[in-house]
Amino acid sequence: MTELFSLWAESLPQLLLATLTVTIPLSALAFVLALIVAVIATAMRMGRVKPLQWLSRFYVWLFRGTPILVQLFIIFYGLPAIGITLSAWVSAIIAFTLNTGAYAAETLRASVQSIPRGQIEAAKTLNYTGWQTLRHVIAPQALRIALPPLGNDLIDLVKGTSLVMVITLADVFQVGRQIAATTFQPLALYMEVALIYLIIFTVLSWIQGRAEKVSNRYVRSTNA
Amino acid sequence: MLELKNVSKAFGDNQVLQDASLTVRDGETTVILGPSGSGKSTLLRFMNLLEFPETGSLSINDDAVTFGGRLTDAQIRSVRKHSAMVFQGYNLFPNQTVVDNVSLPPVLNGKLSKAQARERAQEVLDRVGMGDRLDEYPDNLSGGQQQRVAIARALAVDPDYLLFDEPTSALDPELAADVTRVMVDLASEGRSLVVVTHNIEFARQVAKRVIFLADGSVGFDGTPEEFFASDSERIQRYLSTYGTA
Repeated sequence: MTELFSLWAESLPQLLLATLTVTIPLSALAFVLALIVAVIATAMRMGRVKPLQWLSRFYVWLFRGTPILVQLFIIFYGLPAIGITLSAWVSAIIAFTLNTGAYAAETLRASVQSIPRGQIEAAKTLNYTGWQTLRHVIAPQALRIALPPLGNDLIDLVKGTSLVMVITLADVFQVGRQIAATTFQPLALYMEVALIYLIIFTVLSWIQGRAEKVSNRYVRSTNA
Repeated sequence: MLELKNVSKAFGDNQVLQDASLTVRDGETTVILGPSGSGKSTLLRFMNLLEFPETGSLSINDDAVTFGGRLTDAQIRSVRKHSAMVFQGYNLFPNQTVVDNVSLPPVLNGKLSKAQARERAQEVLDRVGMGDRLDEYPDNLSGGQQQRVAIARALAVDPDYLLFDEPTSALDPELAADVTRVMVDLASEGRSLVVVTHNIEFARQVAKRVIFLADGSVGFDGTPEEFFASDSERIQRYLSTYGTA
C-alpha cells in the first residue's frame, strides 16, 4: 500500500504538469474557438442565404460524421502530403475546435428553434429590429436551453483530448502511459490518470450547475 | 384611420379571407366577431403585419403598404409602429422582469430614455393593477396578471391602435374579468381598440362598432345595436351558438 502511495506521489507532479500544460489549455482554447465557430455556423444555417446554409450543413455533417481520431490523423499526418504541415499543437486545436464546433452548432440550432414563435411575434409587435430580437429575446432564452448540452460538449472535449498522444503531444494520459511503461505499474498509473480526469469533470460539473442555476432564475422551479 | 382594402388570404386550399375590406375609426372600440375559422385573427394580424395577405392594401394614418410584392424592413416597421398586439397567449418575455418587459420596448424603439421608460412603465403598470409586481418574472404570475402586464407593455410603446387577439380566451372567468376591466377602462378614455373575441357581452357593452366575419368576408359592419337586432340568418345562428357561452 505504501508502495502504491509513493508511486502516486512520485508521478503526480509530472501528471499535473501535463494536465496544466496540455490537457487543460488545449480543452479551454478549443472550446472557446468551437463556440465561435458554432455561433457562425448557426447564423449561416439559420440565415437566408442558401449557399451559406449548405456550407454550414456540410461542415456539421462532415465533422459529426467522422471520428475525431480520423480527423486528427488527416490534419497532422495527411495534410503534409499536399504541402500543409502543421505542428501537433496547431493540428490538435484545429481538429478539436472543428469537431466540438459541429456538435455545439447543432446544440445552438436546436435551442434557437425551440423558442416559441410567440416570442418572435411579441418582438415584432413591439417593432424590434432583427438584431434587437436576437440580442434581447432569442439569445438569452436560447442560451439557457443550450447550457446543459454545451456543458456535455465541453466534458466530451476534455476526455477526447486524451487522443492527442497519437499525434505526439504529451498530455496527462500519454505521460501516465510513459510512467506506467517504466515502472511496470499500469493499473496504479491509469487509475491515477482516471482520477485526474474525474477531478476536472467534477469541477466542470459544479461550474455547469452554478451556471444553470443562474440562467434558470426566471423559470419557476417545479418543486417549489 | 386604419384601412384594410380587398385583402385575401388562403392557407393551402382553405381560402380564409376573400376580398375583405374594413376601416377602423380613431378613438373607438371595434370588435371583430365571427365563428371559429372565419379569419378574425388573421385579419387582425394583417393590421400589425404579423401576417401578410396575398393581395390588397393597408393604410394606417400616413403610412401605407400594398401587398403582393416584397416589402422592405423599413416599410414593414413604419406601418407596424402604429399598432401593438396583445396576444391570446400573452407572450411576455420570460427572461425579463415585469418592469423590463414593459420599459425596454420604448427604449429600444428610441422613443424614451431609460429613466423616462421606467417612469412610463410604472405608470402603465399601475393602470393595469400590476404596479406592485415590478421585479417579478412572468413565470411567477397568473395568466390574468401576465395578460395585464402584456397590455401595459403594448401601452408603453404608445401605439395609435391597440389590437387584442382573443385576450381572455385562455383565462378562467374570474381572471378574464380583471383583463376585461382594464380593456373597458382603456375604451372609456377614448383609445382606439380593435378586439377579436368570442366574448359577446364585451361586444354588446363596450363596442362602438361590430364587424362580423363569415365565409371569408365582412358580413356585417355597424353598431352593436344594429348587430344584435339583425335578422340575418347567419348572425342569428352565430349568436345562438356563441351568445350563450
